[in-house]
Amino acid sequence: MTLSVVIAVIAAGAVGGCLGSLLGLGGGVFLVPFLNVGLGFEFKVAAAVSLMTVIATSSVVSAGTAGRQLINLRLGMLLEIMSTIGGLTLGVLVEHMSETLLNRLFATVTAAIAVLMLSRLERRNVLEAEADPGPLGGRFYESESGREVVYRVRRLPLALCASLVAGGVSGSLGIGGGILKVPILNAWCGVPMRAAAATSALMIGVTAVSSVPIQYARGYVIPPVAAAAVLGVLLGSSAGFWFGGRARAKWLKLLMAIVLGSVSLLYFVKGLR
Amino acid sequence: MSDAGISRLETHLGRLLRGGVLSSAGCLAAGLALFLTRAAPSIANALLTAGLMILMATPILRVVVSLVEYARMRDWLFVTTTLVVLIVLFVTIGVAVHNVKPG
Repeated sequence: MTLSVVIAVIAAGAVGGCLGSLLGLGGGVFLVPFLNVGLGFEFKVAAAVSLMTVIATSSVVSAGTAGRQLINLRLGMLLEIMSTIGGLTLGVLVEHMSETLLNRLFATVTAAIAVLMLSRLERRNVLEAEADPGPLGGRFYESESGREVVYRVRRLPLALCASLVAGGVSGSLGIGGGILKVPILNAWCGVPMRAAAATSALMIGVTAVSSVPIQYARGYVIPPVAAAAVLGVLLGSSAGFWFGGRARAKWLKLLMAIVLGSVSLLYFVKGLR
Repeated sequence: MSDAGISRLETHLGRLLRGGVLSSAGCLAAGLALFLTRAAPSIANALLTAGLMILMATPILRVVVSLVEYARMRDWLFVTTTLVVLIVLFVTIGVAVHNVKPG
């Protein structure tokens, strides 16, 4: 392990963290291919190291949003039952999965995320006024519109299923899984975008912890690599917050979709061999 | 289900998460610097391990704090929910301990 590798990992973490905080998705989607393909680490090592950065991202983002009522703590905890079960199950099973299978899974998931991102380029949030948030809903003050937003959670079983899948993806591929949950919570379950993103950001930390200790015990978390990646992501996500709002979200999403599409293609080719 | 209780919980959690990530980052940065200078490999290793352990412990502590707060609010539905999550995490730790490779 040389200085140049450490610097490369910090840089990769910083780029991933920056893009991640700009787009509200973890940096893992970039970090995993960079560590795996770029630096030649085994896929399971790349995924385990990436999960460590997911925990760091979750803690930092949630510490920043806490106190603004954006995080739906009750809904989050309920969904965490499913996401931790998904994470634990795949965290155990991943040991028996081949590199090829993991490559194909990664290709499929990144392709799905790219399509999701393209389909939501022009998406705006329309909120109906709801008087009673019910036991799981929430309310928060939205500074842009200057009013209180009240929402009720609908289609809870769908949210639970999405969380289970997101947990599995987190446990096997090392990406947070927020990218799968947030659009579903927002589009079908009635949770406003900002509340969905804040709740998901809190959840991904606990979800990661349902599998990463197992990978740590198996020796997949190489300490200096994980340290460099975590520090890089922390630097990058602070930079992302700073840039936030200056960049046009639509172009960022388009850029992301292109990058993800290329990553997906790369892994499809890798998975064919 | 008091809103005041929930916002107190949020403030506690925010503080816990910030403290966890800062102390973890401090250990990791110091450990990585020592690792690169090769001055004291055992101290470097200890710092890196401590940093990663603190990082993994933070979300678990977050669940424990939530459990205590929901119990104080007598919100038994969410005490149960939180307990289930905690049980899954304990199973994970059990599996991990079982998987530790010697050396």
